[in-house]
Amino acid sequence: MLEKWVNGLESFLFRQRAFVIGVFIIITVCLGYQASLLKMDAAFVKNIPLNHPYMQTYLKHQKQFGGANSIMVAVEDTSGSIFNPAFFDTLKNVHDQLFFIPGVDRAQVKSLFSPSTRFTEVVEDGFAGGPVIPADFTVTPEGLAVVRSNIEKAGIVGRLIAQDYSAAMVKAQLLDFDPQTGEPLDTLAFAAQLEQQLRKQYETDGIKIHIIGFAKMAGDVADGAKGVVLFFLLAIFITAIMVYLFSRSLLLTLLPLVCSLVAVSWQLGLLTLVGFGLDPMSILIPFLVFAIGVSHSVQMINGVKRHVLAGHSTKAAAAFAFRSLLIPGGIALLSDTVGFLTLLTIDIGIIRELAISASLGVAVIILTNLILLPLLISYTHIRVKVQPSAVAMIPVWRRLSRFATPKYAVVILSVTGVLYLWGAQQASQMKIGDLNAGASALHQGARYNQDTFFITDHFSITTDVMTIIVEAFPEACTYHDTLSQVDEFEWLLSNTVGVESTVSLASVAKRVNTGFNEGNPKWHILPRTTASLVQAVGRVPTTSGLLNRDCSVMPVYVFLTDHKADTIERVLAKVKQLTLEMNTDKLRFTLASGPVGVMAATNEAVAAAQLPMMLYVYGAVFILCLISFRSLKATLAVIIPLYVVSTLAQALMTYLGIGLAVSTLPVIALGVGIGVDYGIYILSTMAVRLREGMSVQDAYYEALVERGSAVVFTGLTLAVGVSTWFFSALKFQMDMGILLTFMFLVNMLGAIIILPALAAVFWRQPK
Amino acid sequence: MWLSILRYRLLAILCLLCVQHPLVAEDFERTETNNFFNDPIQPLASQALVLDIVSMQETAIAVGERGHIFSFKEQWQQVHSPTQALLTKVFLLTPSLGWAVGHDATILHTQNAGQSWQSQMQSSRIEKPFLDVLFFDEQHGVAVGAYGLFYRTHNGGRSWESEYHQELLFDEDIAYLEELKNEDMTFYLSERSTLLPHFNRIIALSDARLLMVGELGLVAVSHDLGQHWHKKKLTYEGSFFNAIEAGNAVYVMGLRGHLFKSSDLSTWQAIDLPIEATINGVMALKDHGIRIVGNAGVIIDVDLDDKSRLVQQRQGESVVAIAELSNGERWIAGNKGLARLTENQ
Repeated sequence: MLEKWVNGLESFLFRQRAFVIGVFIIITVCLGYQASLLKMDAAFVKNIPLNHPYMQTYLKHQKQFGGANSIMVAVEDTSGSIFNPAFFDTLKNVHDQLFFIPGVDRAQVKSLFSPSTRFTEVVEDGFAGGPVIPADFTVTPEGLAVVRSNIEKAGIVGRLIAQDYSAAMVKAQLLDFDPQTGEPLDTLAFAAQLEQQLRKQYETDGIKIHIIGFAKMAGDVADGAKGVVLFFLLAIFITAIMVYLFSRSLLLTLLPLVCSLVAVSWQLGLLTLVGFGLDPMSILIPFLVFAIGVSHSVQMINGVKRHVLAGHSTKAAAAFAFRSLLIPGGIALLSDTVGFLTLLTIDIGIIRELAISASLGVAVIILTNLILLPLLISYTHIRVKVQPSAVAMIPVWRRLSRFATPKYAVVILSVTGVLYLWGAQQASQMKIGDLNAGASALHQGARYNQDTFFITDHFSITTDVMTIIVEAFPEACTYHDTLSQVDEFEWLLSNTVGVESTVSLASVAKRVNTGFNEGNPKWHILPRTTASLVQAVGRVPTTSGLLNRDCSVMPVYVFLTDHKADTIERVLAKVKQLTLEMNTDKLRFTLASGPVGVMAATNEAVAAAQLPMMLYVYGAVFILCLISFRSLKATLAVIIPLYVVSTLAQALMTYLGIGLAVSTLPVIALGVGIGVDYGIYILSTMAVRLREGMSVQDAYYEALVERGSAVVFTGLTLAVGVSTWFFSALKFQMDMGILLTFMFLVNMLGAIIILPALAAVFWRQPK
Repeated sequence: MWLSILRYRLLAILCLLCVQHPLVAEDFERTETNNFFNDPIQPLASQALVLDIVSMQETAIAVGERGHIFSFKEQWQQVHSPTQALLTKVFLLTPSLGWAVGHDATILHTQNAGQSWQSQMQSSRIEKPFLDVLFFDEQHGVAVGAYGLFYRTHNGGRSWESEYHQELLFDEDIAYLEELKNEDMTFYLSERSTLLPHFNRIIALSDARLLMVGELGLVAVSHDLGQHWHKKKLTYEGSFFNAIEAGNAVYVMGLRGHLFKSSDLSTWQAIDLPIEATINGVMALKDHGIRIVGNAGVIIDVDLDDKSRLVQQRQGESVVAIAELSNGERWIAGNKGLARLTENQ
């Protein structure tokens, strides 16, 4: 039935080929135009699992306490001391400039120059205090001396001033929406403004500007992603050479490349149509689409050549090739698509986007490379001689076909088994999340990470903050019981390795109470009477972010030493343990907000998604193979090598110190989805021959002769396409590049080594 | 043989019981984790607020936040404490007998050089902290604190009785209280309990007199182990937090760098300090000067000629106490916990 349908389609397409090609051209022009409108896009919320319980907490309290999207600008005086007029002028300028950049929450810009930066001191008759920078401040040695003593009284060293007085901080929270336009904040434009209006303008020999925060990181990542254009050209160039070596024909080199580029432009055009931008992470998809397109084209060229060699006209040969490849090619591409679609189950915006753009791209290849390509070829006249290389391959295939004999199979399968066990053991140690300090998307030497290290070294705060929200009842903070629970929680948590410091209303109230008692540290307590407690808490404004208006919500800020997976896991475990013991009906410690809260949620979402994703990918591939081969044995022969290779890829991640993260999670799905192609191509020939009664070894030999070079070539093309990412300025692209290259190459080896060995066992011939 | 069979039977029955009552096992597990996570012995305890260090011969004890108590054995080691209240002061009568006091009117006692502690008094109802404790012998001692808190024991602390030292009230307050007494007894009692100044420190002088300093410029002397007090007049009316007798003179010190010296407890001479920071702690130096420590991390030496010198200023720290241990090491305590002063400091 299927065959009839394919034949019908073939005769329709080839009879109407001019018309069909015309349609393709029109679509290409339209989608190409759409593709030209594509914009880079990197929104904060896309990177987080919005439905995770932590993120529900985050979203619920984001408005009141600011979210995780903050920016820190450290202005450093390279002389080592900030107390000079030039520095203070610059700091003031930086403060003002940041204040006026659209998207900054102006109420939350904090630095020495913000009016809320005040000091308090105890004098005989109570408190005295004022802004750290007095209203009559002049940039003179006397004025600076006053500021210096105020800084010490204000207790801002380590927060707004570097511990060694070599730098000062300007902090800001970002809004999600531009207040002027009401549009979502353009993170990348914002990052560019930071670079232009702060760093470019104020960095001199004596002053260094260090900027960190999600927006800046996204900007740097996007800048790094621009290098991708070069890699893309490089990939096209190398691929072209390889296709030429394979086809020995300029025309047969050009057509696959053109068809694959058409696929890429369709994919990009469709992205704009569905309303997506190009994210630094999904920028890798065009490479994949291109490489997959080329590899399927190579199968097509291979088929055409074989038929031309058999004496058919180019047009007839193209029709034959179309007919024989539509089903295996279609199935292979369909399983790629389904493999990518399984990523939709992961509740992280950016992975869903990746899933959609990748599956769109691969689905498009079915049209461009399985239909358009043979139609274009049919217009050409190809003369093929028996290539010396093809003849040269014969003894190689002959030798390789021994893999399908029981003797070799035993050895191969034993080695595979050992490899699998080793890989599984390694894979079980795979870490989740970031394994390095700094922004994992960027290399350690990148400016952004250097800035992060500077700020971590010189200030006692970082962006590695996890916020635990204490949800209680109205006026809760006026009760000793409530605050002392919070205090106890904070203390026990601060004793966890990885926690650098903590702050909450409870610890601040103790400090204020000390202040009310002449600054005597012996009064560093939470007063038992509500009247005294109110006095202490009342001095803490809601703008401090330590309480809401009726103090029913009080965050505990936990500053971590870093955001490595281990650190987050350890702190999370402690928090969970504590909440289990301390949460009551009236007082709940809730995870989590702050940048590390977001990371924790992401790590948990990624960890939770891993198993289902694998099940879905393998399930989809399994069903598709079962449908196309109608044989459980054949299906297993395709899937077992894939599974071994996925496990080895995870072992490689452990070995290379690559954590399972938003960027690496999809790799396995992509690798499996694409890796299955090899097996499908080889086995589709083998299955036919086996059914004809051929021995396993002969069937495998036939398959190698027909598809072998194409499969090897496909593996190499795909690997080349993604291996250019090794040189990316972005760490995660490099990681993805390494893993995909590994998956593509080793899956190819799996299909020509493990698959025949399995076949030899599954279709054992009675002697 | 049958015995071992019986034992197995018993085990089997026990196992059955466990299975039938999963709650038993669960409860047990729960307490286990509780103990682990709410263990008062925490790694950072010695870096949290520590308010006092005392040293006598081989014994050294420090106390601080959340009832933390530390004993020095080559290193500071946290020991179990019967309270979670902030402990403000610790006193050693002998190297093994000691008392510690703190918030929630807490008094703790040790008989083994600080290895274990028993609570002698604790009442969150009193809502006033003890700020110092002094024992004259094994049986007799006093504990003093905020708002004129004054307790005395005659039996080594097994029972404590409150005393009210009306003689330390201000004249105008005495008149005010007399007036109230006739009008409203309840209000009178409540006012009476808060009108006395904080008693911040009480020390025994070499001539067996007692000296007590406190809030609102309080400096008082007693000839009868604290039964009756006589106020001394100084030019300063801010709080005094500490006092010491060293080199034939008595020093009192307190808020915003105020330090006074007297040889007869009648005439007091102000000593200028390089920094106007509140002074919390003091120790006598071997050459008969004193070293004082305080807020803003100041450590200041004052020699016999009343010349003062800033030895060190520790950023972001409030130093509350300083002591020299028997091994010659000098340790300070404060909001950053315990820290050792190195030799050139």
